[in-house]
Amino acid sequence: MSADFWLGVGVTAGVYAIFVLGLQINVGFTGLLNLGQAGFMGIGAYAMGMLVTDAGWSIWAAMPVAVLVAIGAGLLVGLPSLRLRSDYFAIATIAFAEIVRYTLQNADFAGGNQGIIGFDQAWRDVADGLLNWLDRFGLGGYTQLPLFVAVWVAFGLCLAGLKLLQASPWGRVLRAIREDETAAAALGKNVLVYKLQSLGIAAALAALAGFFLSLNVTYLYPSEFDPTFTFLGYAILVLGGFASYGGVAVGAILLWAVIEGLRFLHLPLSDGQMGALRFVLIGLVLILLGMLRPQGLLGRKAEMQFSQ
Amino acid sequence: MSLTALVLAAGVGPVAAGQATLNGLVAAGYFALGAVGLTLVFGVLRLVNFAHGDMLTFGTYVTLGVTALGLPFWPAAAVGVVATAVLAVLLDRLIWEPLRRARTSTLQLFLAATGLAIVLRYGVQFFATGQVRSVGLDTTSSVDIGPWHLGTLQLAVMLIGLVTIVLAGLGLRYTRLGKEMRAVSDNIALAEVSGIDTRRTIRITWLAAGGLAGLAGILYAAAIGSINPNFGFTILLSLFAAAILGGIGNAYGALAGGIVIGLAQEWSTLFFNPRWKPAVGFAILILTLLLLPRGIMGRRKARA
Amino acid sequence: MIGNKFVAAMLAAGLAVAFWTAGAQADPVNLTIGKLLEVTGPLSDTGPSQDKAVKLAVQFANEQAAKAGVQITAKDIGADVQGDPQAALSAARSLVDQGASCLIGPSITPESIAIANGVTIRKRVTIWPTGTSMRLRTIKDEGTIFRTVPPDSLQALALVAAAEDKLGGASGKLVSVIYRNEPYGEGLAKNFSSAWQAKGGKIQGPIVFDPAQATFDSEAGQVVANNPDAYIIIDYPDTYAKLGAALVRTGKFDPTKGFVADALALSTVPNNIPPQAIEGMRGTEGGTPTGTDAYKIFDSLWQKAGGAEHYSLDANSFDAATLCFLAAAQAKSSDPGAITDHIRSVTTPGAPKFYLTNLADALKAVDSGQKIDYIGVVGAFDFADNGDPTISLFDIFEYQKGKLVVIKQIDAARVTE
Repeated sequence: MSADFWLGVGVTAGVYAIFVLGLQINVGFTGLLNLGQAGFMGIGAYAMGMLVTDAGWSIWAAMPVAVLVAIGAGLLVGLPSLRLRSDYFAIATIAFAEIVRYTLQNADFAGGNQGIIGFDQAWRDVADGLLNWLDRFGLGGYTQLPLFVAVWVAFGLCLAGLKLLQASPWGRVLRAIREDETAAAALGKNVLVYKLQSLGIAAALAALAGFFLSLNVTYLYPSEFDPTFTFLGYAILVLGGFASYGGVAVGAILLWAVIEGLRFLHLPLSDGQMGALRFVLIGLVLILLGMLRPQGLLGRKAEMQFSQ
Repeated sequence: MSLTALVLAAGVGPVAAGQATLNGLVAAGYFALGAVGLTLVFGVLRLVNFAHGDMLTFGTYVTLGVTALGLPFWPAAAVGVVATAVLAVLLDRLIWEPLRRARTSTLQLFLAATGLAIVLRYGVQFFATGQVRSVGLDTTSSVDIGPWHLGTLQLAVMLIGLVTIVLAGLGLRYTRLGKEMRAVSDNIALAEVSGIDTRRTIRITWLAAGGLAGLAGILYAAAIGSINPNFGFTILLSLFAAAILGGIGNAYGALAGGIVIGLAQEWSTLFFNPRWKPAVGFAILILTLLLLPRGIMGRRKARA
Repeated sequence: MIGNKFVAAMLAAGLAVAFWTAGAQADPVNLTIGKLLEVTGPLSDTGPSQDKAVKLAVQFANEQAAKAGVQITAKDIGADVQGDPQAALSAARSLVDQGASCLIGPSITPESIAIANGVTIRKRVTIWPTGTSMRLRTIKDEGTIFRTVPPDSLQALALVAAAEDKLGGASGKLVSVIYRNEPYGEGLAKNFSSAWQAKGGKIQGPIVFDPAQATFDSEAGQVVANNPDAYIIIDYPDTYAKLGAALVRTGKFDPTKGFVADALALSTVPNNIPPQAIEGMRGTEGGTPTGTDAYKIFDSLWQKAGGAEHYSLDANSFDAATLCFLAAAQAKSSDPGAITDHIRSVTTPGAPKFYLTNLADALKAVDSGQKIDYIGVVGAFDFADNGDPTISLFDIFEYQKGKLVVIKQIDAARVTE
């Protein structure tokens, strides 16, 4: 269990943490059950990948544009579906995410089954440069360190931004919509616009998460953006705490420590059985999270008011 | 539906259109059967059961396990159906009932359902491994209806599915249990007040949903010929599509929804590469939610 | 006096010899071979057989090493790549952390590239993917990626040759192409189609099917439409059980017109594939296999062990593990970099040949520092500079009465002449 392994886990946790910040603003602060977050992530990551490999853009220019594309997708999805009741909205978003994944797998322009590769050279140069610098302190062997730092710095910035937003009048309206939508509407607030903004921000965060995911894996492939990503994201959300942005970090680190740590659990079983058992345990964790401590580790029960 | 079929026949020729229609009706059999259990649970309990697909898997694997012990297929199938029904009730006691009492949010229910789906699927895989299993029935014999072909087993599946759904629909409409289920579905508080034992009704609902899920999985496996532990989850969204399209809570609606989804997917192969088939199902789901949220036959309110 | 001194001298000489040989004798090598398995995910049907293949290779090699008196033992550890490059990355790291010096697998190229870029190139750990895409060779792997499976560019040409052989040429002939929607099938189908069309043939399709779908009847209908001269079917056994049944049900399917690739090359047809879907079908696979003595040993090991049935590319992974073992024995070390450096010196063209049948002798030879050319169960390797096998010899086989029978051998490299 080397430092490199756990730094790698830390990178994955960081990617999920940014992803779940988006879920948190939807669920924890607006009352929207967004099950399509992985779809927005896929759109953002592939937009970036295609701009770099097909159109020859620099990755630093492609990234902001990809975020805008994802926001656009969020608005497109939200406009027709936000007026549905919450469980129907959830199903609509998951259907959307699956359509995205199927398109990525089958459309030639997205590389299909062959995926997209070769977009990350610019980042690698940066990372190598950083590692050379770190070598002076004897830390050059920790190859995951640059990405780890980058992801968590990004998370920190997003966290700060969201907290500021939440403390603002805008944030207060959002909370009001979550708790009692009709009351908020009665006060003259255009509920749909606020919900759209919330969804747009979530999509942007998903795209950013997708950006870091693709740097980590160096290969864009549709199976990276399947519904399981969103489901695990929700586990993190509940684990870390309802309506707690900071809790997202705790949840992400904890869940991924457990999921990946389970790889080292050795029982007198075959590898096939161990693989299956690992997922059974993860599933049990999800059930327990749903049943026992719904407000999560850092959440407050009072926050669990929903206007459904 | 018939109008579309005629247009298609004109467009691509009656043989191709007819064959696609037949294929679509066979697919409709699995979708409809799987969707009925889903729709009952949603209707009576307001629960979006993301674990439903894996209950199909569970029933099928129990059946396979029993056949390995020597029992022939169809008696083993009966065992599988019963086992899934019992499992459904057990899970209600263990998981859903406590959550109902605690009046939990949609998010928690979703999380529990997802977790349950994972436990069921990988629990099955733990014992059966990821290796694909075959059911050992003859999948190649077919009947000819003019220029069209249909697998014998598939025809059997389609008929069994149809009969089951019609029986379920009749049961819901005419039996006392059925009326109670519909009453609870409409307004649980009112149902309690008027003397219905809602806990019993809920238990019966789970028995029915579980049994139907087991049967759906077994029929699916019988017609396809071989399965792996992932199959239930992969058709889950299509089942949702069928249930919602047909109108939540309505067994006949599930049939109608299954038919539409099945036909649409197979007809789409006349124009697009078959690789896009699953996307057709999802697209219909989204369109239904946006344009016809009540479904073809539903009465449920769908707007927030 | 002289007698005592003589004895003392002899003793001293004896002791010196003993110390010297003990010093020259390296410490026993403890090798860990990692398995990157698809336990969960869309390719989970390949998991059990890949796991078993490496296990058997390790077991057999250990026995032969003991027989040969060569001081090396190996063990195998596995991790689930889940069909997802992100999980594959972590799986590979966990194996390398636990001391794996070679990684057998993974199954798809996106996973392979993620692992190579993230873990193995840096640590000079060899990986042995069973994916066949040429994309894998677009990255600079510093000699750490080897394949015992021929890449799809060569495979496709072999299929062209097989089809031409049956039809008497490609020009004007209509061929349906159908493949399972994942990287292996797509790469092979695309390469076949362009080669076939370059020779004047016509392609119907490609028809792509989603393995998770319920029915394949529409797809099957498209394959047999317009009564083509041949069908190219690129699939794995478990999905072919479903597709094959659907093809038979169309009533227009003639299996003798069918051609499959190495993923559907099985010594015996599994009983979930209906015989009418495969009897008389032809296909291509690299190298030699099923008739040889080496394969007989492999097969008897497989049957004796029980458990998973034969499945696609199981022998290829068996060979990969054996090669890793041989390289470690020659390097007298389990250091990944040392093993990487020795892979080519156990597969040197022109050196004395060894087979699974005399693996113990092979081990003795490499232990004494000799270069050998180990011929695997799937045939000779002769790795090119990039680590892909160069042997362009392919077998054309036919399924007769449920068994794979090799009917001729061709050189795929000559197909485009």
